[in-house]
Amino acid sequence: MSGVSLSKMTKRYGIVEVVRGIDLEIKPQEFVVLVGPSGCGKSTTLRMIAGLEEISDGTVKIGDRVINEVAPKDRDVAMVFQNYALYPHLSVFENIAFGLRIRKVDKKVITQSVNDVANTLGLTEYLERKPADLSGGQRQRVAMGRAIVRHPKIFLFDEPLSNLDAKLRTQMRAEIKRLHKRLKVTSIYVTHDQIEAMTLADRIVVMNDGRIEQIGTPMELFNNPVNTFVAGFIGSPPMNQLNAIVNDVDGRLVAKVGNSLITLPKIKALANSSNREVIVGIRPEHVLLQASATSSPIAIELELVETLGSEALLHTQIAKTPFVVKAETRFGDVSHLDKVTTLHIEPDLIKVFDADTGMALATAIQD
Amino acid sequence: MHKLSLHTIALSVATLCSSGLAIAQESAKVVDKPLTLTVHLHDKKFTYDSNWPVEKEAARLTGISLKDVTIGNTPDSNEAFNLMIASGNLPDIVGGKAVKRNLNRYGPEGAFIPLQDLIKEHAPNIYAQMQARPQVFNSAKAGDGNLYYVPYLTDGKYGRGYFMRTDWLDKLGLKVPQNIDELYTVLTAFRNEDPNGNGKKDEIPAFFRNWQEVLRLVTFWDGRTSGSDTYHDFHVKDGKIKHGYAGAGYKLGMKNIAKWYKEGLIDPEVFTRGSRAREFLLANDLGGFTHDWFASTASYNDSLKDKVKGFKLEAIIPPASISGVRMEEHRRIPIKPEGWGISYSNKHPIESIKYMDFWWSEEGRRLANFGIEGKQYNLVDGKAIFTKEFLENARPVNSQLTDIGAQVRRGFWQDYNYEIQWTNKFALEGIKLYDQGDYLVDQFLGVAFNEKEQATSDKYWSGIQTYMLEKQQSWVLATSDVDADWDNYLVQLDKLGFNKVLTAMQSAYDRQYGK
Amino acid sequence: MQNIQQYTSRIMRHIRAEWQLYLLLAPTIIWFIVFLYVPMYGLQIAFKDYSIFKGVAASPWVGLEHFYTLFESEQFMRAIKNTLILSGYNLLFGFPMPIILALGFNEFTKAFFKRTAQTVVYLPHFISTVIIAGIVMSVFSPSVGVVNLLLVQMGFDSVYFLVQPEWFRPIFIGTGIWQEAGFTSIVFLAAIAGVNPSLYESALVDGANRWQMMWRITLPSILPTIIIMLIIRIGNILEVGFELIILLYQPSTYETADVISTYVYRQGLQNAQYDLAAAAGFFNAVVAFVLVLTANTISKRVTKTSLW
Repeated sequence: MSGVSLSKMTKRYGIVEVVRGIDLEIKPQEFVVLVGPSGCGKSTTLRMIAGLEEISDGTVKIGDRVINEVAPKDRDVAMVFQNYALYPHLSVFENIAFGLRIRKVDKKVITQSVNDVANTLGLTEYLERKPADLSGGQRQRVAMGRAIVRHPKIFLFDEPLSNLDAKLRTQMRAEIKRLHKRLKVTSIYVTHDQIEAMTLADRIVVMNDGRIEQIGTPMELFNNPVNTFVAGFIGSPPMNQLNAIVNDVDGRLVAKVGNSLITLPKIKALANSSNREVIVGIRPEHVLLQASATSSPIAIELELVETLGSEALLHTQIAKTPFVVKAETRFGDVSHLDKVTTLHIEPDLIKVFDADTGMALATAIQD
Repeated sequence: MHKLSLHTIALSVATLCSSGLAIAQESAKVVDKPLTLTVHLHDKKFTYDSNWPVEKEAARLTGISLKDVTIGNTPDSNEAFNLMIASGNLPDIVGGKAVKRNLNRYGPEGAFIPLQDLIKEHAPNIYAQMQARPQVFNSAKAGDGNLYYVPYLTDGKYGRGYFMRTDWLDKLGLKVPQNIDELYTVLTAFRNEDPNGNGKKDEIPAFFRNWQEVLRLVTFWDGRTSGSDTYHDFHVKDGKIKHGYAGAGYKLGMKNIAKWYKEGLIDPEVFTRGSRAREFLLANDLGGFTHDWFASTASYNDSLKDKVKGFKLEAIIPPASISGVRMEEHRRIPIKPEGWGISYSNKHPIESIKYMDFWWSEEGRRLANFGIEGKQYNLVDGKAIFTKEFLENARPVNSQLTDIGAQVRRGFWQDYNYEIQWTNKFALEGIKLYDQGDYLVDQFLGVAFNEKEQATSDKYWSGIQTYMLEKQQSWVLATSDVDADWDNYLVQLDKLGFNKVLTAMQSAYDRQYGK
Repeated sequence: MQNIQQYTSRIMRHIRAEWQLYLLLAPTIIWFIVFLYVPMYGLQIAFKDYSIFKGVAASPWVGLEHFYTLFESEQFMRAIKNTLILSGYNLLFGFPMPIILALGFNEFTKAFFKRTAQTVVYLPHFISTVIIAGIVMSVFSPSVGVVNLLLVQMGFDSVYFLVQPEWFRPIFIGTGIWQEAGFTSIVFLAAIAGVNPSLYESALVDGANRWQMMWRITLPSILPTIIIMLIIRIGNILEVGFELIILLYQPSTYETADVISTYVYRQGLQNAQYDLAAAAGFFNAVVAFVLVLTANTISKRVTKTSLW
């Protein structure tokens, strides 16, 4: 197994830079997910690794080999496409065997390999069918089978699940995860769906506007987003962001949000602040309905309660800014939530971002 | 039909009584009250126009004016005719190109009325010509023996003649060839002795604009190719219908043509060079001998005199054949398959025929040939002479005439004088040369089939002709040998129905020309 | 009865509700009626002694006489043979050409070259047949033709191609290909443009080279188009380029060049024998119909692609 290493990798179309010098180290066997809004350059990055796009600047290494000038077929990568890219005129068997036939692999070996793969993916009974006669999930499996059968060093997935319905997507997600556990092939997976990213990735790479915003494990990203973009992208619903003014009141940091005052965790960068503008980030899951010893109350206007079953989403407003809260129901009963007027916030669960740069202001320092 | 002839008799009695009066009046007036008749007169070169000066003059003189209802925006006169007749609405008068075939086909079916009796009674001028040239008028008749159209009679005898680069002859010290052997010698010399002096053996001794003219050479071996101005037509010998391509002399002729072709005496590209051949080969000082129309061929003496030094392309009298016969097979046909007829729905057949007759009167004929007196021509000693301005106009004379409505294909009698006045002097000299001898042969003016004969001809003739032409070309190109093929060729012709067609032709001929 | 009434009223309701769609359909239907179905009435003249003056209805029936006339003629049989051979060759050599061209164009990566090359091969299509024939005649002319000049340069004798029966077919087929292959390739280019680009990317990652992509992806992907075009082509198999033949053939090349349409032209139309021409046309149509039917059935069985 090989790792992949990108160094200052850049893609330009004319004068437009779509990928702006990315550095990324992917360890052997690691499952890395590139996530970001559309147009952020994640797919282009993947295609450059695959060799489908030329690399304008920088280098890509697979293992120790620089592969900038290496033809796609010699990079030993396999790619799964969003629209499956199955050959409509070939049977499932031939679709899976395609890469092997091109490489003039011995016929017996092909049959054996394809059967193995079909077995793994549960496609054995469909081998003689044409893609048109398969369901979406089956097609996706065939597409993966085509990638697996070649035993490549790297798997590349380009939004492979986005054409499936929600239920199938969940199912396939798990299947991909299982496959990776079994095959342990280095995988790079592109998606715009942060849930896929969270569930699949060993590490997530959040991209925006051709740059990497943050690299980290799902929980790192969830707990410590480096900036408001990542904070707003990871998590569902995403982190609430409120404009606030911070004052250091006798060594205690107090943020004023609308008319409420909230106690903030201790943050070095904010020591001795007076009337400093910041953005306060609070995850919907981290809001308390009952006061605790350390929490600060905050007044809200409740607009709507959305019931999800065991949980409910409270759509509220704080100082004219939307604020979402995730709260537990009482076995589906939400009557206690309808009358909420005040929320309570634990200082340690608050993230603070610089209002100008959007960067996180160091993590809370415990005394 | 029956009703009509009764009617005609009644009328003819009336005319007989009043004819003395009519002649005394010397007037061309046909009707007292102006009458308008509809006309379909198709020609790809023009659309019939009742505002033509000639037409208006005729209307003034006769009181009858024609209103154009020609159908068909097509260059093909047959197509136009078909459209017209398929519409079921026949105009009073139908004329123009392709009239013979169509009127003689649909006349017997009742679409057009027979004219011979009407002419006899009401058209003294046409009738006079009919009496003078019965053969010509007979040829216009349909298979049922009726005349359905007043034909357009052409004038002038000569069409094509043999032309040779006489300056080349002088250069090589040769004389005008008088017989086939001398012609062979001359053409060989043209081929080998570089008469154009460019050091290259690029001369094309004998060339032809129409490849069919190659075949005309068989007349030098006493063969025949056609009896009319249509290629591959039948001819008549001693009252018997014959076809040149199955006749004596043809075999020998083809053999020799093949020999000439092989020796390079005949344009190797003669079959595909097309209509530009004459222009191209003469302008590039390559061609030496041809058989083509007098006027147009002679005109190169003017148009090329600056381009090709010493260029002299003169008519020569036909060299004598192996048996010593000098023959010019081609001549102008005296009667064209054009003219006009009267449809069954015409309510004024007598006025119509009188109107048609007007064009055959002295006055009408001048109008049809020369245009209007004082404008296009003046009368000098009783002869129509075109004005100087008219002849020197940049637009060709014949086009100018068509522009005003003269020389258009109504049924009229052409006057060759109209053409002489603007024919090139080299052509006139050539024609004079041909006039000194008697080289023309009798013409076959065609026959009108009855239904059965027509069916025979329709069924077999096209196939026969296809076979004839196929063999012919293969002999010239030496892809097969005429000597070896000949007997089988005759057998094949018979198998294809050649003798049946000949019999049909003969019976039609005998009926039509009174044998 | 009541059923029929219900049925018609249902149809009427439907037409009223969807009249815009029917309005859009109307021109096509009218075109078919006026230009295809009405003329079919005239087809009966193939069995009549037709006179334009009498009209179709009043002309007397003659049964199969015109067909006897045709089939008794050796030249007609030869014409059938030539027609089949010419269209067979045309199919064999002329049909693949546009596909090859389209595949070739697809390999051009530079848009400028692609456009230029396409324009160059489309051009002959827009030249009238008369001029095409003129070009062919001069190109193959023994004295000034390029072909013969080249032959002479290489030390061969010049050949009078246009009067040699054995050369007619290659020249005719070649001319047809030159004239139409480029333009016909548009259909296939369009089909190629419709192939999902990720198929190629996938194949690229799988290790296919351009040649393999052409064979394994492009060709199979446009196969349905190819088959439809082939069926249509087979339906027109008896319609060889009549004008071009008339312009190019010579009595000496009748042996290989005379086809049904030229035979009918000489035999029928020149003598205004429309009934005979109609009989030959009818025969043509029947054969073409049978061919299309066969081709379509075979295609449906073998490739699951069909016209209907």
